[in-house]
Amino acid sequence: MVENSPSPLPERAIYGFVLFLSSQFGLFLYLVWAFVPEAWLHSVGLTYWPQKYWALALPVYLLVGLTFCVILLFGINMINTAPLCSVDNITDSYAKGQRIDCGQNGSPPRLKDVSISEINHMFYLSQEDFK
Amino acid sequence: MAVNQYTDVNGKPITFDSESHKDFCREFTISNAKLSLRTILIYTCIVWLLAYAVFFITENTVVLSSAIIVTLVSMVIGIHFVKVDRETLLIIRSLGVQVSSSFASGRECTTFIEMSKIKDIVINEAVYMHRVIYYLCILVKNPSDPEMISSVVPLFQSSKPRLNCLEQVYKACQEVLLQN
Repeated sequence: MVENSPSPLPERAIYGFVLFLSSQFGLFLYLVWAFVPEAWLHSVGLTYWPQKYWALALPVYLLVGLTFCVILLFGINMINTAPLCSVDNITDSYAKGQRIDCGQNGSPPRLKDVSISEINHMFYLSQEDFK
Repeated sequence: MAVNQYTDVNGKPITFDSESHKDFCREFTISNAKLSLRTILIYTCIVWLLAYAVFFITENTVVLSSAIIVTLVSMVIGIHFVKVDRETLLIIRSLGVQVSSSFASGRECTTFIEMSKIKDIVINEAVYMHRVIYYLCILVKNPSDPEMISSVVPLFQSSKPRLNCLEQVYKACQEVLLQN
């Protein structure tokens, strides 16, 4: 059984350092590809690069995609919210199927949903008793 | 409470009237604030100034006439279909519940739900846009299956009163329903 804890471990330090090195290398490679003219790269012998157009296009695509995803997430949440006229605001299939158990003497009763009529009686009709 | 100072969920003032015709018959009316002349004038001026600015840039008179037509048509449609003047709930024991909403143009839209179909009238809380509001709703059942809620009819949808107003309507409705 492996214990899961967020404490520092030697393996995690190595992973972190590898990630750091590779991300620095990736940035350096991206800058070289974007700025160094094609002729120089061909003269060294590195000929198989993607088009330089993508050095500008990819960041723009990423940022537009990110903005779109934020708005899309908000929209999906609003679509998935049940409208006020839906039965899902009152009950659902799990509540309809629950068993009503009288319970044995002394044991706590079975956990179940309280129907909305009872809750309304409790909240709004019995206030006169308390006043 | 000497004055009926009720507001809707957005803070705008509404009027609440409750009449008890008989022991078994109650009527509740919630009225929205009337369309004020000032807001109409302000919106019309803004739209027409924008249209004039576009005309100034493009030198095309279609912009002006289309702005006028669009403003007039949208005002007529808004008054007839969108702007609700007041909403009424009439509950009669052993007969049923009548819900009617009257629009600013005078059009009235009425629904009647008979008593055998009504399971209960409750105040429920639900997520609406970015917040949770209280709303009054009628739980509708099939007369053949008394335990299943077949649909939910929310009441006072355009005026959306707050809990203090809803509690009064709820208590009065429960008095009528529980005598049944």
